[in-house]
Amino acid sequence: MGSGFVLIILSPVARQYFEGEDSTTMALLEIENLTVEFATAGGAFRAVDRLSLSVDSSDVLAIVGESGSGKSVAMLAMMGLLPWTATVTADRLNFDGKDLLTLSARQRREVVGKDIAMIFQEPMSSLNPCFTVGFQLGEALRVHLGMSRADCKARSIELLDLVGIPAPEKRLSAFPHQLSGGMSQRVMIAMAISCNPKLLVADEPTTALDVTIQAQILDLLLKLQQETGMALVLITHDMGVVAETAQRVSVQYAGQKVEEQPVVDLFTEPHHPYTAALLAALPERATSQTLPSIPGVVPGQFDRPDGCLFSPRCAHATDQCRTLSPTRAPARLGSAFCHYPLVRGAPQNHPESGAIT
Amino acid sequence: MSDEIVLRANDLKRHYLLPGSFYSKAATVKALDGVSFELRRKKTLAVVGESGCGKSTLARVVTMIEEPTAGSLQISGEELADGDKTVRRKLRPKVQMVFQNPYGSLNPRQKIGSALEEPLLMNTPLSKSERGGKARAMMQAVGLRPEHYDRYPHMFSGGQRQRIAIARALMLDPDILVLDEPVSALDVSIQAQVLNLLGELQDKLQLAYLFISHDLSVVKHIADEVMVMYLGKPVEHATREVLFDNPRHPYTKALLSATPVPVPGRKKDRVLLKGELPSPIDPPSGCAFHPRCPVVIGRCATKTPHLQSVHDAQVSCHLMDEVQTEKV
Repeated sequence: MGSGFVLIILSPVARQYFEGEDSTTMALLEIENLTVEFATAGGAFRAVDRLSLSVDSSDVLAIVGESGSGKSVAMLAMMGLLPWTATVTADRLNFDGKDLLTLSARQRREVVGKDIAMIFQEPMSSLNPCFTVGFQLGEALRVHLGMSRADCKARSIELLDLVGIPAPEKRLSAFPHQLSGGMSQRVMIAMAISCNPKLLVADEPTTALDVTIQAQILDLLLKLQQETGMALVLITHDMGVVAETAQRVSVQYAGQKVEEQPVVDLFTEPHHPYTAALLAALPERATSQTLPSIPGVVPGQFDRPDGCLFSPRCAHATDQCRTLSPTRAPARLGSAFCHYPLVRGAPQNHPESGAIT
Repeated sequence: MSDEIVLRANDLKRHYLLPGSFYSKAATVKALDGVSFELRRKKTLAVVGESGCGKSTLARVVTMIEEPTAGSLQISGEELADGDKTVRRKLRPKVQMVFQNPYGSLNPRQKIGSALEEPLLMNTPLSKSERGGKARAMMQAVGLRPEHYDRYPHMFSGGQRQRIAIARALMLDPDILVLDEPVSALDVSIQAQVLNLLGELQDKLQLAYLFISHDLSVVKHIADEVMVMYLGKPVEHATREVLFDNPRHPYTKALLSATPVPVPGRKKDRVLLKGELPSPIDPPSGCAFHPRCPVVIGRCATKTPHLQSVHDAQVSCHLMDEVQTEKV
């Protein structure tokens, strides 16, 4: 930890509220076989399917996937923020030694917003237009830490300063419509880190922002992560953002985790055909004028295939893929959820290429 | 034939008047302030910049949704800026537009077939069966199946809707297609499909594209020429190779370095811009970029730079004066 930073984030004002907190070395967040089903008019829809994840403190994990792959839903389920139509089941859902599944609503509210914080995609619409920035920023401090008015104000100014907002004293009385997108996102980040969370979930934090502002926000998030040692889960669909920020990447497709690898390995040797196809479709990696695209679309509620969910779009799919759900490959193959995980671009044990490998 | 200029814009301006009120004085927003470029058949000009830089205003002026305040706009050799209604009406079908959000640009109560036929109904004397035939042919050209003719937009995915929007734009056989962020609302795998389709159509139909985007990786893939805009003015204009290999304007450099690259572990010396795009109501004096510029010099705050040729690019920056004089 940078000592200069500790001084800022745990200034005398704030320090008294954090005494007695110590960090543990076990996995901060453990999710095993998390399944989320929504009751819809057309029957149950499985948005997240047996998802397992583990996040250590000071980890930076990126969750990548197309829209509708259940990235956000999994994280919202973890925090208990889904509507009543959702059924959440899991073998294990532990955060910091607490079982999130059995916590009462009151106990969960003590964890969510304090130890687990979230930044949402649309900064302009996630702030309440009726209240000032100062009021919204101070709310978490009052509720979770029981700060006094004066302390709240002092801490809010510190936080706004920390996320790089000029003239923070003046901004406290500003309303959200007076802020630009980048500034709103900074306020959201300030709110999220106000109680020194152990886990910060950033759901597409830069999608709505311009590139130059996106670079500023990503730098800020990484700086805060390194200095406070919190774990960061970054939900995104931008492979560029993943490559520049994450340590580990989990790839999701239609609610299932299809692959998980450290970031460098994922980009050099993807083991699941979907990851490989996704990387090949990036314009930056294109070698010819025609991009290698993935045919078809992500399956929806009513056109879920049997067997492997990616089989209708996969170049290597066989009859086995179309009928049988795959098993998970070992960790050295990126835990790929595939019958024939790729090694150096070639599917293993594949009936058609069996003679070659 | 392939080098034929289909659109020529010269010092195009579009200003908006904000009426004064009890609290504020009347002001002029210079959304577009002196833009010149040419569009050639089978070529793509990409316009890049942050939100608020006038990209979409440019699209609205070029598609004749709005009239330019000043400057000239020639389409197929005919002057538009001072043209009367009949000229504009005649030229309108030549320039068509594809919008950013395929979820918002299609009428949810209109079947795909009738959405495609509507431009023909309004602009051509074709009979019902001829219109239907043309619509079906176009659907095939953009990769939609014949049975989609009688479906409603909500039955399609984002990529398919964008195909429909492209098909509708092509119904009147335009020369120019203005694409306003056509793939930014789509997922990567679908984005590749749509980009490929746009490339195919350009070859087949000899189209000129005005491609508006903020995603530089897409621009690098599809564009022939790139124009970078900042607060309504072009700051750099060059061919794709020159701009990406050797960016000259500090803003272009910052934009390029801010774009995340999908190569992990590559540490770039990133040019981080301070602050945000200033309000176009009250732009900074001199060079509009000077409050955020990392290499600002004395005269930037007072003197407005103009586009000048530097080697094979057009750059609007005072630092380029030195390059020029050194050369001479």
